Amino acid sequence: MSTPDIQASQANKNRTGNGVAASVQRVGRFLSGMIMPNIGAFVAWGLITALFIETGWLPNEGLAEMVSPMITYLLPLLIGYTGGRMVHGQRGAVIGAIVTAGVIAGASVPMFLGAMLAGPAAAWVLKQFDKAVEGKVKSGFEMLVDNFSLGIIGAALAIVGKWAIGPVVTQLVNWAGNGVDFLVNHNLLPLASLIVEPAKVLFLNNAINHGVFTPLGSIDVEETGRSILFMVESNPGPGLGMLLAFMVAGPKMLRGSIPGVAIIHFFGGIHEVYFPYILMKPKLIASTILGGMTGVLVGTLMGNGLSGPPSPGSIFAYFAVCPPNAIVGMLLQVTLAAVVSFVVAWFLLKTDKTTRKENEEFDAAQAHAAATAAA
Amino acid sequence: MPTINGSDVKRVVVACDAGMGSSVMVASTLRSKLSPLGIEVVHTPVDEIPADASVVMCHQGLAQRAQTKVPDTVVIPFAIFMGDPAFAKVENAIKTGQTLES
Repeated sequence: MSTPDIQASQANKNRTGNGVAASVQRVGRFLSGMIMPNIGAFVAWGLITALFIETGWLPNEGLAEMVSPMITYLLPLLIGYTGGRMVHGQRGAVIGAIVTAGVIAGASVPMFLGAMLAGPAAAWVLKQFDKAVEGKVKSGFEMLVDNFSLGIIGAALAIVGKWAIGPVVTQLVNWAGNGVDFLVNHNLLPLASLIVEPAKVLFLNNAINHGVFTPLGSIDVEETGRSILFMVESNPGPGLGMLLAFMVAGPKMLRGSIPGVAIIHFFGGIHEVYFPYILMKPKLIASTILGGMTGVLVGTLMGNGLSGPPSPGSIFAYFAVCPPNAIVGMLLQVTLAAVVSFVVAWFLLKTDKTTRKENEEFDAAQAHAAATAAA
Repeated sequence: MPTINGSDVKRVVVACDAGMGSSVMVASTLRSKLSPLGIEVVHTPVDEIPADASVVMCHQGLAQRAQTKVPDTVVIPFAIFMGDPAFAKVENAIKTGQTLES
């Protein structure tokens, strides 16, 4: 069998529960789809926070005044706008932003989750209205109906947002925050890696990172200037360790491609490129889980955190949003995660019978080719 | 199963979950090979694959979602992001007019 056939058959065999995975992916995509187009704004906010707050690189009280309006208004409005657009185009986007403004006014914490709820919901209501009146508006009155339906429904839903969604979601966010604090304070956050690392390679990486960790982490930043939650999924260490182990102990016919893959993963931050190697040898998931847990444990013990979401999860992004007094801890967190992942993956590959057999066949084929060439 | 002859391919769409990371990388590699042949290569999120795609390429973990989104378009999955034979297969089919099938 050629390299590709072996890869394809192994990967297919390992693709279990695909129907479930696809639907979970779709839900996750809906959540992360509201955040990801706005990552640039998160980066701007993260940079300003990392630079100008009291514990930042260049503390500046005046410039730090931008931090609060950005997280309170700019980011939730962008999310509500984008969420609305996903459901009902430009009109959905506008009403999503209107209702998000209501939710913000009714809340006492940054309203990412409120915006992710209110934006699409408001757009859905407007979509139903637009469907109901489609074709029934007298010629020449379309603009009047369009603008005032959006304005009136938007104003009404903004009141609902202020009175109902804002306070309720504030409560939910406080509970979620307390839950996370509990995990962090009891050093239990590493357990998250048990779910996060397997979910990542099923292409739920964006859903988990931007659907869950980015919104919750941003709230942490408002309180303490940094959050460890940004470093749970995005740590490029575990993937790097696994790839390096693959390079020295994996199937020989695949080793050649690893350096390029490792560079794209670690420096370019596109983690997807390492998923296929775990899907080929599923037991390697143990290496990224243990590497991830190590990283998170080191991070919680050292009080690490980033000022904004490092997206994509590249080491450069890590440096860009890392507060000055957390650089050493961050490097330790990434490095130890990589080392643990490397050691576990190396052991698993060395003891893997299929890999040994593949490599024997590969060596034999090479020897045969060399002998033929010599003759 | 949808099929298409390589010579009818006008537009190859590379899809990934968000349409911002891996698909951009794969599309730019593929573009350097296919644009001299007059083929357009674009990247999108897997849930927003346009109906006018001739061929869709995505990681096999996302292939089911892609095929559900565009049931009548050929979806060619790949296993690894660099150097997967699926890329060469599509390139060859386009050059030599072979048939591609989901």
